[in-house]
Amino acid sequence: MTRYLFGQVFSLVLTLWVVLTLVFLAVRALPGDAATIMGGIDSSAASIAEMRQALGLAATLGEQYIGFLGDLVKGDMGDSIRERRPVSAVLLDRVPVTLTLAAMAFVISLVFGLGLGLLAGLRPGGFFDKLTTGFATVALSLPEFWFGFILILVFAVQLGWFPVLGLPPTGLSLRSSWHLLLPAVTLAIPRAAQLARLGRARVLEERSSDYVRTARSKGLSAGSVGRHIASNALPGVVPLLALELGGLLTGTIVVEQVFGLPGLGATLLGGISARDYPVVQGVTILAVAIYVGVNWLADVTQLVADPRLRAPT
Amino acid sequence: MKLKILVAVALSAVLGLASAQTLTMAMAAQPDTLDPQVTSATAAFQVSKSIYDTLVEVAQDGTIIPALAGTFSASDDGLSYTFNLVATSFHDGTPLDSTDVKATLERIMAEGTASPKRSEFAAITGIDTPDESTVVIHLSQPQPALLASLASGWGAILPSEKLAEGHDFGNAPVGTGAFVFQSWLRDNAITLSANPDYYKGAPQLAEVIIRFVPDPAIQLQGLLTGEFNVADTIAAADRELVESNPALTMVEEPSGLALVAAMNTRRPYLSDPRVRQAINLAVDSITVLEVAYAGGTPIGTFMEAGSPWLPDDIEPYGYDPEQARALLDEAGVPDGWTIDMPLPQPYDAHIQAGQMVQDYLREVGINAEIRIVEWGVWLSDVYGEARAFDITVIGHTGKLDPSGRLDGYGIESENYAGYDDPVTAELIAQGAREPDTAKRVELYGEALHRIHDAAPFIFFGTPARAYAKQTSVEGFWITPLLDSFDFRTATIND
Repeated sequence: MTRYLFGQVFSLVLTLWVVLTLVFLAVRALPGDAATIMGGIDSSAASIAEMRQALGLAATLGEQYIGFLGDLVKGDMGDSIRERRPVSAVLLDRVPVTLTLAAMAFVISLVFGLGLGLLAGLRPGGFFDKLTTGFATVALSLPEFWFGFILILVFAVQLGWFPVLGLPPTGLSLRSSWHLLLPAVTLAIPRAAQLARLGRARVLEERSSDYVRTARSKGLSAGSVGRHIASNALPGVVPLLALELGGLLTGTIVVEQVFGLPGLGATLLGGISARDYPVVQGVTILAVAIYVGVNWLADVTQLVADPRLRAPT
Repeated sequence: MKLKILVAVALSAVLGLASAQTLTMAMAAQPDTLDPQVTSATAAFQVSKSIYDTLVEVAQDGTIIPALAGTFSASDDGLSYTFNLVATSFHDGTPLDSTDVKATLERIMAEGTASPKRSEFAAITGIDTPDESTVVIHLSQPQPALLASLASGWGAILPSEKLAEGHDFGNAPVGTGAFVFQSWLRDNAITLSANPDYYKGAPQLAEVIIRFVPDPAIQLQGLLTGEFNVADTIAAADRELVESNPALTMVEEPSGLALVAAMNTRRPYLSDPRVRQAINLAVDSITVLEVAYAGGTPIGTFMEAGSPWLPDDIEPYGYDPEQARALLDEAGVPDGWTIDMPLPQPYDAHIQAGQMVQDYLREVGINAEIRIVEWGVWLSDVYGEARAFDITVIGHTGKLDPSGRLDGYGIESENYAGYDDPVTAELIAQGAREPDTAKRVELYGEALHRIHDAAPFIFFGTPARAYAKQTSVEGFWITPLLDSFDFRTATIND
């Protein structure tokens, strides 16, 4: 058990270090730096050089890398160049929005997507089956941001049920989280489609297996058979769920742009445009941690859901 | 009697409710910081305008009028300026006095602050504070542009006690302005509340909320649902929608923008003025203005249309492809000459203009290869040391003083076009030092003539500034040339 945990931690640290180094180099390979951006078109070369010096960007790549790693080991992600305050504060401000959005989208895609898929698989050729196939085709062919605009047009502009922007100016609170429903649905649609197709496929697989025939011939009700099928179909879906959560995070970048949400996606985009290296690095750290964490959670869930995996070999 | 009291109470309650107005404005760009001394971004000053005040400010007609300095005067030799401060306080309660002005100016002049506008105050040799309400600024040479610099957003006066403490003005601004900073939720909104003790009279709005909405389509939607009262970016294609809606108004007013296609005069063939003139003649600037920028007034040199500094006798180049081809032949430009045109991705209008330029140039045998690049890459290519471009399209915002626009032109290393002409450079430098306005007009006029002849740019013109608001919003205005937002007299009349 200790060896397993140690292995997990080591793998996390290694992944983090490799990804961080790549991002560190990639973002500095972009032409222009924060001083260039801040200087804009109205500053002289001399004042841009002054700003570069004041921001610590004039140091060599090696010096910056050592400085960055050294601070990171002490738990310091540095200060955002653009916001002139600690990166940790910047991320802390944005994480709740993205997490709430992702969580809502995850639940919606799980309930509707998987639910739809299971129902479709249990009655092939039936109403839900046709609905699922149609929905999945449409949802996976059209771009996410298009759904976002349509939802805004219908529910915010025409019906006035929702505000146009994802959050009120006072930010995220329990009361304002319903504002996130439109962006969460937008985010959920492609994942729901994937889960629907997968759920349907898994159920169809299970339907043709021996134990189902046995159960039916024993005279078990359709409902009981259905429950057996579903509980056997689910473990196969778990790995995809983990991947989906990762996909949700990247999806938030687009959705946050459309709905003007102050989340991690907006921070990352803004950080890249402004060449705010510490922020880009900080978001990377967070993203890697989340991905690795979610995959670990998926592994554990798999173990719990499928007793066969727990048996010693 | 009781009825009268009841009515009076009810009336004041209703009036009280009616006067608690909040104006929500949608802005596409976001400030990088609210510290006026460490940025040059227009978006930053658009917001900080409401929080801080300057010694002098720009009125709606473009003239410089008293602000925190109730009266001001310059000495005859132009080497010292005296400002007499009004009695007012900062939002933290500390009264405004001459030490605040001195501390503010010293900070923007300090190397450690690394202000992009530091050079505008370089001529200041000393700041005297003979008493609490008087400031005397001494210069090493006459600088007629000083008032313009002090009227700009970066001339905002900061409280000296907070300066001494190293206060973080970037995230928690404290000024004397008409609105008090409440909160800044990054990528979301900035909330300001009215300053009831504002020295020019308390604003009628109780609150201003500035929301950051990068997408013009969403800005329009918000305007339609009433979520936004003013929207600063409306796509040209949507203007008709706004104009045809009685609840909305499209505001078009003169801007100070000079739209140009800059040429890298260090490059082969582009170093020849005949080639640059030919390129000007090959492009129909009026059509480019109409199609890409929804109209505007053409210009013939590097100064916005309608500027008092623009000589009357400078004609735009006009459209003459025949003459263009003749000049290109004369200069020995081979047919099919290929040039590199990077265009800035965030600006659809510039991209469209660039594509039109490419079409026009093809007609005269020049092959312009377009690269649409991200803003940071564009800045690095065009303004960075590499100067990796042949031609590009951009707009230069208006400046309060011609020196703000023209400084550096004529000195190869100081302007991105690499335009090198010692005579022009000397005229511009003299103009910056000349205290007599009539002589300045002459000096700059001559320089602008020379710039027209040398044609380092294709001169397109000056478009109108356009933004949309709900018709019920009145009294909101955008500062001429500085383009900052002024909410001090704004109201919403339902």
